[in-house]
Amino acid sequence: MQTDRIRASGITDVGLKREENEDSFSLDDDLGLYVVADGMGGHLAGEVASRIAVDLVNKSFRKWKESETSDLDLYGYKDPSLTDPGNHILSSIRLANRVVFEMATENNECHGMGTTIVALAVMPDLIIAANVGDSRIYLVRGGEIERLSKDHTVVAEQVEMGIMTEEEAHHSPLNHILTRNLGANKDVRAEVFEIEPAPNDRYILCTDGVSDLILDEEIKRIVEEGDGPETLCRSFIDEVLKRGGHDNATVVSVYLPDIEQKKQGILRKMGGLVADMLAGIQKARKNIRP
Amino acid sequence: MARLVLLFNDQVIREYPFVKQSMTIGREAENDIQIDNLAVSGFHARIDKTGESFILTDLQSTNGTFVGDKKIVSHKLSHSEKINIGKHVILFLASEKEDGVLPGSEKEGGLDKTMILDTAKQRELLAKQESAAPRVAKPKKIGVLTFLDGSKEGEIELTKKLTRIGKAGNSEVKLSGLFMGATSATISKRPSGYAISFAGGMTKLKINGDVVKNSVQLNDFDTIELGSYRFQFYQKDLG
Repeated sequence: MQTDRIRASGITDVGLKREENEDSFSLDDDLGLYVVADGMGGHLAGEVASRIAVDLVNKSFRKWKESETSDLDLYGYKDPSLTDPGNHILSSIRLANRVVFEMATENNECHGMGTTIVALAVMPDLIIAANVGDSRIYLVRGGEIERLSKDHTVVAEQVEMGIMTEEEAHHSPLNHILTRNLGANKDVRAEVFEIEPAPNDRYILCTDGVSDLILDEEIKRIVEEGDGPETLCRSFIDEVLKRGGHDNATVVSVYLPDIEQKKQGILRKMGGLVADMLAGIQKARKNIRP
Repeated sequence: MARLVLLFNDQVIREYPFVKQSMTIGREAENDIQIDNLAVSGFHARIDKTGESFILTDLQSTNGTFVGDKKIVSHKLSHSEKINIGKHVILFLASEKEDGVLPGSEKEGGLDKTMILDTAKQRELLAKQESAAPRVAKPKKIGVLTFLDGSKEGEIELTKKLTRIGKAGNSEVKLSGLFMGATSATISKRPSGYAISFAGGMTKLKINGDVVKNSVQLNDFDTIELGSYRFQFYQKDLG
């Protein structure tokens, strides 16, 4: 089934080994914002941290989108390599970090709490993917799978530095040690990637409870075999539980519409032919010139 | 409290209580455990306390870090394990409270659980690690487009995460042409490197002569064609 709007769905599951679910997620089709967070810290602190982070990123991004000003009212500095919306996602994450950090330092029962975060913002001509920690965003497009997030773990950084191979990293006991999260420091640097959307893109946001058990290539296969976003999320969670469900598992899937068909009018095809001819002529003229 | 005991020829040289989040071992004076011996690298190895566990990491040292006779990259230390660096031995002693690291008693929820490192210290150490490993550290690179053909000349550095190429005013690379799309193509910097995507308009995007309708990864010296414009892509070292 194809529609002309975004379709998204999300499921979180406590898994088979944990007592509490410390993951949180949000879906907002109007805002085009999808967020997943994996909290840590004893008692209820992890759950609180992930919930607050998800809510704050939503609130702060919504506030900017609805304010209709072109002013960049950012929390922290502007990153010149990013668009304005990209800077606002970055700013929203920084703000959420600050709040979680303050709570963790001021309240005894919140001490040591923190959370990862991944956020996907979908706009008509722009996709923004941001993350802190080891929760991930995948893009499945044209038969390929690609990560749009960078793990902030000791092993991932060592792989990037060339100190460790992917193979060593996979078996490393340090797999779950984060180098960045929300709540540990006063400031945090989120990873932000910006890409152009394409028709039929499928984005998967998930916590390590999913990506620990299902490899990238398997994720691609499950996405390609999946039907709607709801059934897809269900298949992921079923697979995680089948493989032991050692941790809380959360998955959010976002399907972009198939708008290509609308564009494929006869005029477009004719136009394309003319454009090819003109480009050919231009080239020919250039070659004739001495 | 855990302790580290530095030995040379089975003689105890010094004992170090593990009072910090992490301790470094090396020849330079800034190390917590300094070993003044040429077989030891400036910053040779470090031990991080993460939760109840102690993790030993080799900082890409010249002569390697060994636990017993096994060369390690990173290793979770167990009680009374011996770390061999050159001719020196460092004995690791876990405290009673940290029973979780005693041999054979893998505590549930130990390293399987996500934890955060003391990040300020970690940054510092990773920076040191980078400088200690110049042979393998990958230099930071930036993508560059060079005009090969068309009405423009010169180079364009891809300083943005997303570079739009097209007719629209907000394009980072502005091209003209009747059938050029407002945004004809985009180049994005992603975790796996640079990728180019066709975005719209009637002008086709070709990479090395092949029409691209979706997106492809860009490799050094790929030729990009948009109508009568031709560019070459490559990555140059930054700084």
